[in-house]
Amino acid sequence: MSTREKDRLDLLQGTLDLLILRTLLPGRAHGHAIAKAIEHNSEDVLQVEQGSLYPALHRLIKRGWISAEEGTSENNRRAKYYRLTIKGRKQLDVEIGKWARLARAIARILRPAAQKVRV
Amino acid sequence: MRLTRRARALKDLDRDIRDHIETETQDNIERGMPPEEARWSALRKFGAVTRVTEDTREVWTAVWLQQLMQDVRYGLRMLKRNPGFTLVVIATLALGIGMNTAVFSVVNAVLLRPLPYPNPERLAWVTTYQDANFESVATADFLDWREQARSFEQMVAYQTNIGAIGNADDAIRTGIAQISDGFWTLSGARPAFGRLFQPGENSIVLSYGLFARRFGRDPGVVGKPVMLDGRQVTVAGVLPKDFRFLAAPRFAFTDESINIEAFTPLVFPPGSQARAMGMAQCGDVLAKVRPGVSIEQARAELEALETRIAKQNPNPFFRRMKVRLAPLDQKLVGGVRPALTILMGAVMFVMLIVCANIANLLLARAATRRKEIAIRASVGAGRMRVMRQFLAESMILVLLGGAAGLLLARWAISILLRLLPGSVPRLAETTLDGRALLFVLAVSAAAAVTFGLGPAFFFWRTDLHDALKDGAGTSFGASRAGLRVRGMIVAIELALAIVLLSGAGLMVKSFWRLHTHPPGFHPENILKVSLSGPPFRTIREADLRELLLRVESTPGVQSAGITAIAGMAFRGTPALRPGQVSRFTINAISEAYPRVMGMRLLKGRWITDSERDRVALINESAARYLFGDDDPIGRPISLPKGPTPPDADAVVGIVADLKYSKLDADPEPQVYAPYPHWMRLPFTPTVVIRTPGDPSAVAPSIRKLISDVFEHQVVVETQSLEQALADSIAPRRFNLFLLGTFAGTALLLAMVGIYGVIAYSVTQRTHDIGVCMALGDQRRAVVRMVVGQAMSIALAGIGVGLAAALGLTRLMVSLLYEVQPNDPPTLIVVTLALAATALLASWGPALKAALIDPATALRHE
Repeated sequence: MSTREKDRLDLLQGTLDLLILRTLLPGRAHGHAIAKAIEHNSEDVLQVEQGSLYPALHRLIKRGWISAEEGTSENNRRAKYYRLTIKGRKQLDVEIGKWARLARAIARILRPAAQKVRV
Repeated sequence: MRLTRRARALKDLDRDIRDHIETETQDNIERGMPPEEARWSALRKFGAVTRVTEDTREVWTAVWLQQLMQDVRYGLRMLKRNPGFTLVVIATLALGIGMNTAVFSVVNAVLLRPLPYPNPERLAWVTTYQDANFESVATADFLDWREQARSFEQMVAYQTNIGAIGNADDAIRTGIAQISDGFWTLSGARPAFGRLFQPGENSIVLSYGLFARRFGRDPGVVGKPVMLDGRQVTVAGVLPKDFRFLAAPRFAFTDESINIEAFTPLVFPPGSQARAMGMAQCGDVLAKVRPGVSIEQARAELEALETRIAKQNPNPFFRRMKVRLAPLDQKLVGGVRPALTILMGAVMFVMLIVCANIANLLLARAATRRKEIAIRASVGAGRMRVMRQFLAESMILVLLGGAAGLLLARWAISILLRLLPGSVPRLAETTLDGRALLFVLAVSAAAAVTFGLGPAFFFWRTDLHDALKDGAGTSFGASRAGLRVRGMIVAIELALAIVLLSGAGLMVKSFWRLHTHPPGFHPENILKVSLSGPPFRTIREADLRELLLRVESTPGVQSAGITAIAGMAFRGTPALRPGQVSRFTINAISEAYPRVMGMRLLKGRWITDSERDRVALINESAARYLFGDDDPIGRPISLPKGPTPPDADAVVGIVADLKYSKLDADPEPQVYAPYPHWMRLPFTPTVVIRTPGDPSAVAPSIRKLISDVFEHQVVVETQSLEQALADSIAPRRFNLFLLGTFAGTALLLAMVGIYGVIAYSVTQRTHDIGVCMALGDQRRAVVRMVVGQAMSIALAGIGVGLAAALGLTRLMVSLLYEVQPNDPPTLIVVTLALAATALLASWGPALKAALIDPATALRHE
């Protein structure tokens, strides 16, 4: 695996974690619902490869930011539901802050270039 | 059952994924896709199910563990691909680890493990002494200590003797300990059969060894009478197999190492506490210090007590008494500590050589793997990752080598125990215990790091770019720098080997010195017959005369003489420094004795069996001690308990010093006197018999003859004098055997090491050599070049090694005898031996180089 490809994956993972935490803020959800919510809320801009959701979910469980519980789905089937933990809620604030800083920083860098192009 | 977090999280993962895809499919169908397409689209959107499952599981797996498994799998594959290499490394490692473990187990049993009595750290050995080293405690002193000393929980007196156990016809001689009451509590002894006696009983307790050897393990012996030195005692009980008497036994008049195998009560006659002129001695004392009292405090108290006793008793006997008190374990094994420490050091050297050899092999092999490693590094494997790979391989090798080494150690220990003299205390307790296993593990781990990381480190410095571009041929291991490193490692091996060889060489020379007998002394032709038992309590001169006559007329006997120790004298003389005292042994001998032994008369005349006057022969040492430079002939000497008036014994002759009892002790001052004058009873004689050939041939007929002469319980022990002398230096022989083995192994390994490097360099330079030869170099020049390369490595190693040997052999002075630790001839011989070995090892590769065909070699590459 080359280094560049790995880096891209890293970035994606980090972002995905943030999105999952944000999605779970209103309440518990199962895997498919989380994927759908992310796609829907980003107005289908973000095309998540749905499978990559699962390693991310487990990473979050391992860190103690979300928890998993058995539940019954709308069509009366047993399904696993994920829920934000108190620790995860705090982490979400941290992640949002980080993201905002990153976005601002990148925007600051990009702005002069964009102006130049306009001229 | 509670599941781990990992198991709980991963439970039903497959079901969740299946549900996820199904829900997506359902959504797609609801959006109007045909079912087949809906499912396909859901799958595509999800991604590879297997990979997702694996990735998810991996979240829960520790990364290092996974990589380790990977490294181990890879390492195993590499080792399997080179079975020859793997086998050599494992065998070498097994040798090193096995030897180390065996020696460590001995050290562990003898020096490290606590004594098998309760609260061993509080046990002490106590005695008193005056003049020289004559140690013994007066009964009155012991009784006073026991009454007055506050530092001790318990004090037990003991005395060790040699006794005869059994009936008239089959008595055996063994060590007997007489013990005062309290010994059983102090030692924590429990009987295996029967019971332990109470003070004052007329009974005996047997060790398990004696019970097995003499009584055929028959528990029925308990309660039965047995004969002990001609009197009847009852067997009270038998001690368990692992019980040991933990004080080094000391016997009057002999230096033999005899184990204590039976116990009888030590009885103090009434009135012992009174201090009379002829002081009763009770032997030595075992004491248990009270908890919280230090050995120093206990010693100080006894010393104060002894000073008070001296003040209260004007008898000069007490005024000179000094207390000696030592922790029991120190007293027991203190003497063997230096030897064992040196052996442990030596075996560590062997291990270092083993590691050096393996590092060398790995380095050579790393050369062929250079490309592989370079590729791994260039696709992003970190330095640590590559090092870990090397380490994993070393670990596998070490684990296998360690396991094989453990088997080897078990075998080596059983050999050591069989080989070993009873004179090393506690040796029989040697086993492979937990501590030994821990030691193996530590040694192995250290080895793995030593020889695993070395190559990885050197290797890392090579240029990745070059490595990828070139073939394996000019890689680091074969490059000039690589060869230099490998040459250095071999030089270190040789240096270590020369230290070991010097040590072994010095011991061999000591041995040779010990075995150099003066002309005329032929221990290999002398049979020593030790007699003991009750008849000698009442024996008369006439009986001995008859015995001698009959022995001399036995076929195969050339001549026979009698000797018996008639007493010891401790005295200082004007010839000695003030306060210096020497021990004189008074030997009662028959006329023929000096002739049988091959003694040499330096001055004066021999003595006969029919001397009218009191006369004596003295040896050189005695003459020097007693008379200095004066001529002793005709001078009177005063011997203890001699006839009245004192000073009646006149010196009539001086004989040369002769070591006939203990090879490694300085000759002691000896006085020889005609036995008819010195028949002090009991008279336990030793008959010495000179034979033309092997003396043990006449032993059976002598035994028969003696049991005919005396019908009462006589113990006869026959041994050739040569054997007796060899036994007297058994611990030295053991040390020599071990150090010799280590040195031999070191030499062999060093030879393999130097051969490996030279052979490899010849193979690598086949092309160059071919060019040289094509350009007209003689084959002889090629041989000289290869051998020269080997010798330059060897000389570097030898130089460093000699310097180290000069420093280190000084530590083994206590193991040497009449050899200086820097003995030049030994060091020269050792150097030559090692140089010859290096020459031998490089000869094969040199010849191979000389036989290179230039035409073929140039096409090579």
